[in-house]
Formats: sequence, C-alpha cells, structure tokens
Amino acid sequence: MNNNYDVIIVGCGVIGSSIAYHLSERQKHRVLVIDKGFPLSGTSGATQAWVWVHSKTPSWYGELSMYSAELYPFLERKIGDVEYKRTGGIAPFFHEEDRKNAEQLAESQAEVGIDIDVLSREAALKKEPALSPEIVGATFSSIDGNVNPFRLVELYIKAAKKLGVDFSFYNPVVNMKKQTDQYIIETKKGEFRAHKVIIAAGPWSKELGDMLDIQVPIKQVRGQILVTEPLAPFLKHTIGGLRQADNGEVLIGYSKEEVGYDKRSTVDVLQETANMAIHMVPSLANVNVVRCFAGIRVMPLDEYPIIGEIPQLDNAYIAVMHSGITLSPLVGTLMTELIVDGETSIDLNRYHMGRFSHLLRNKML
Amino acid sequence: MDNSTIVCRCEEINKDEIITAIQLGAETFDDVKRLTRCGMGPCQSKICSNLVREIIHEQTGISLCQLKPSRMRAPLRLIRMKTLADHRTANKVASVLQDSEEGGV
Ligand SMILES: Cc1cc2nc3c(=O)[nH]c(=O)nc-3n(C[C@H](O)[C@H](O)[C@H](O)COP(=O)(O)OP(=O)(O)OC[C@H]3O[C@@H](n4cnc5c(N)ncnc54)[C@H](O)[C@@H]3O)c2cc1C
Ligand code: FES
Repeated sequence: MNNNYDVIIVGCGVIGSSIAYHLSERQKHRVLVIDKGFPLSGTSGATQAWVWVHSKTPSWYGELSMYSAELYPFLERKIGDVEYKRTGGIAPFFHEEDRKNAEQLAESQAEVGIDIDVLSREAALKKEPALSPEIVGATFSSIDGNVNPFRLVELYIKAAKKLGVDFSFYNPVVNMKKQTDQYIIETKKGEFRAHKVIIAAGPWSKELGDMLDIQVPIKQVRGQILVTEPLAPFLKHTIGGLRQADNGEVLIGYSKEEVGYDKRSTVDVLQETANMAIHMVPSLANVNVVRCFAGIRVMPLDEYPIIGEIPQLDNAYIAVMHSGITLSPLVGTLMTELIVDGETSIDLNRYHMGRFSHLLRNKML
Repeated sequence: MDNSTIVCRCEEINKDEIITAIQLGAETFDDVKRLTRCGMGPCQSKICSNLVREIIHEQTGISLCQLKPSRMRAPLRLIRMKTLADHRTANKVASVLQDSEEGGV
C-alpha cells in the first residue's frame, strides 16, 4: 500500500467526511481520512441534528448558517437521501419581556436576509398546536430544519469513496511531525505522509494540535438528549429544544455542561430535560422515554467556528465548531476552495484561528 | 440463522443489514447500532446485543471476549416522561432564544 497522499484529514465526523467528499468532487488530490474509531463514534453520532439558523447571532454568523442550510437540497441531490427536511423552526418564549428580544432578533437577522416572524401566542399555537398554551409567543423562520446525522455521514463517506478517497478506521493518530514540505502522520496502523494535513477531530482536536505544538483554543461541552417511543407524527416544525424524527421518535434536549470528555448520562439533567419537554409540549407528559444519549460538543473559546489555515504552520488546516451538522455542507465547500484554489468564495477572515493569538501568547489556555 | 432472520425485533433489523454494516467496516456493537438502528428500540438491546456480537465475530474473526457489549444508559426500561420529570426549574437546560447571543445549539 502506498502511504503517500496529497491531503490527510484527521477525524471522520460530519466535518472531516464533508471536507473529504467536497475535495473528492474536484478530483485534484489523493485524499486519506483517518479516524481513531468508526465514523459516528464522535459527536456527529450523538447530536440533535437540527439544521438551525434563525437564532444564530450575530447576524454574520447567522448568515453563514443560512448559506449552509441553503446547500442541503443540492447536497441531497448529489449524495442521496439524508432525510433533510426544511420543517421551519419555532423558538417559543414564555415571558412577555422576551418579545422585545425577539423583535430585535428579527430586525438584525433581516439585514442578512434571514426572515423571522415574531408570532403571537395564537399564531404560534395555530402553527404548532401541540405547544403549551402557556407560551406568550414564538419566533419562526422557514429556513430551519433537520437531517438524519447517521445517513449524512454515511453518505458523505460513500460518495467520497466512490470518487477515490481512502479511509482508515479504528486507527488513532498518535503523532504528527512536519518534515520539510511533508507531514508525517504516525498511526496505530503505520506511518502516512502528506503535503497537507487537516485537523477535523472535533473535541479531540486539542490533542492533535498538541502533537504539532499548536494550542487549539477549544473546550468540551456535554449535551444530553432524551428519546421517546415512536409517536404518530404530531410536531410539524423543528422546535427550539425538541424535534420529531422521521421514525416518530421525539428527541429532546438542550443542556450544556463543562465536564471534559465524560460522556455519561446523569439523572439530574435527564429530569430537567423531561421538565422542559412537558413545559414546552404538555402532551409529552404521557409518553414513554425509551433511551437517552450524551455527546461532547467542541466549543471554540469564543463559540464561533475555527476554519482555515493554522497560523504559523504551512499547509496545515483546521475545522472545528459546534453546530457542525448545520455547517458541514458549507465548511466542506469552503475548505475545498481554500485547498484547491487558494481562496474562498466567502471571506473566512472572521473564522481564522489567528484571532486567538493574544490568548495563545498569554498562555491562558 | 439465514440472512433474512430478524436480529433486532424492536427495530426490525435483519441479519443481512447487520452484515452490510460490518462490510462497511463496523467492528463493534455500538458502531453497528449507529448505522442500522439495531439496539435503539424499547428493549435497549437486551435481546439483540449478543446476537449481533456473534455475527460480528462470525464475519470478522474478532474474538467474542474482545467484543464489548453495548454502552448501557438509563432508563433501563420504558419510563413515562412525567415520572422522570421532577418539576423543579431547569438550570442546566438552556432556552434557545435566551442563548441566541452565543449562537444557539
Ligand atoms: C447533544 C448535542 C446536540 C447537538 N445538536 C446539534 C444540532 O442540533 N445541530 C448542529 O448543527 N449541531 C449540533 N451539535 C453539534 C454537532 O453535533 C457537532 O458540531 C458536530 O458533530 C461536530 O462534528 P466533527 O466532525 O467536528 O466532530 P466529531 O463528530 O466528534 O468527529 C471527530 C472525529 O475525530 C476522531 N478522532 C479524534 N481523535 C483522533 C485521533 N487521535 N486520531 C484519529 N481520529 C481521531 C474521532 O473518533 C471522531 O470520529 C450537537 C452536539 C451535541 C453534543
Ligand atoms: S431487539 Fe434490538 S433493541 Fe430490542
């Protein structure tokens, strides 16, 4: 086996597999993707998988999410059915004071073309009758939706394989070195070489950065989700906090805890999540919970995506972010432009890792 | 067992689908689960877990004692939402709208 590649991607979650697929479409490079486990064993296999736009602020970040959501129908035509549904998104609020925030949100997002309606209680209940009568209103946008993350990653990989990308699974990268114009990637299954390396290892990107003496400015944030038994379709929209999947299950949860790589489920958060479910959709009180899961979000320290070149290291790139399901079609496209053409159709300056240089210099990490 | 035998009763997944996942490269129960949904049903893999481990063993040669069982999580059996809820106010569970400064999700 020839172990020399043009590009090696470390991490085969939704971000790594999307970059691999979009690179393979251009047929310019020999690409290898390495994962320490099997795809979906990271965060991309433990996610709500909303393709969510309307409450993402500031508006330049909302705009990025919107462009990505707009790519989904085209992506689906290319790689197959990923169960993408543009259901429209509803974020209910329960206090009259929140109406002002909602109106401000609608105004600022309108500047970048995200249409948001601020709904009255009646209008919200008419759109989504299962919502609690205790809501006082909601924001609504037709751009939001959701996708099946398992199908998404599986089909990115299948499409990339068809176009010649190699994959190596159950194969942790244990060290990386730069040697003149090459990177040497040491793995459990042997050594690989490439001109360019892309770190897309989600929450573990910190360890990968360490191998190259690069501090990756991220932290880990656990999220826990409850899953109900399959129910007849009764929720039409993706609702801030919960959604009904194609098979009828309702996925509920929006928790955030900083507990490192601990992926356990805990009873306190599950109870709070059940409270939230009943608070938002009272009829959920009488349904059965079948299972739960937890995942580790990778959270850049300022909470915005880190996409692009790694400062001070030629031919090394990074793509880490929360909301990677929403952003994967766009991030794959832009990283491919950066690597193949050397420039991107959307300015990535805001997302460059260099913005953290003051933190890194002060050794605050 | 022939290939049409249902391995996971809850999710109606047959042996053929399990083998397809293994051919894609899956080597553990949880990896097969995420590709096929096998094990995500109401019994939470109590019925299918060992059958799937046997099929992985048969297809890949990995010894059974190296094949970890599925990661078990609460609830171990079905539980009503209102029984699980404790009706205190939430603090670790955020609201999307209140959170919009940080970008949500
Ligand atoms: C509970 C929860 C709910 C969420 N809800 C949403 C949502 O509704 N919408 C949304 O857009 N986003 C959501 N997210 C976030 C989203 O799931 C993540 O942003 C996304 O999955 C990140 O993908 P990734 O490819 O960067 O990381 P991962 O999927 O974690 O992939 C990284 C991969 O790198 C591999 N790896 C790590 N170290 C090494 C190594 N040394 N060698 C080789 N491989 C290695 C891992 O095995 C893993 O497969 C949610 C997250 C959580 C936890
Ligand atoms: S038989 Fe597989 S989950 Fe119940």
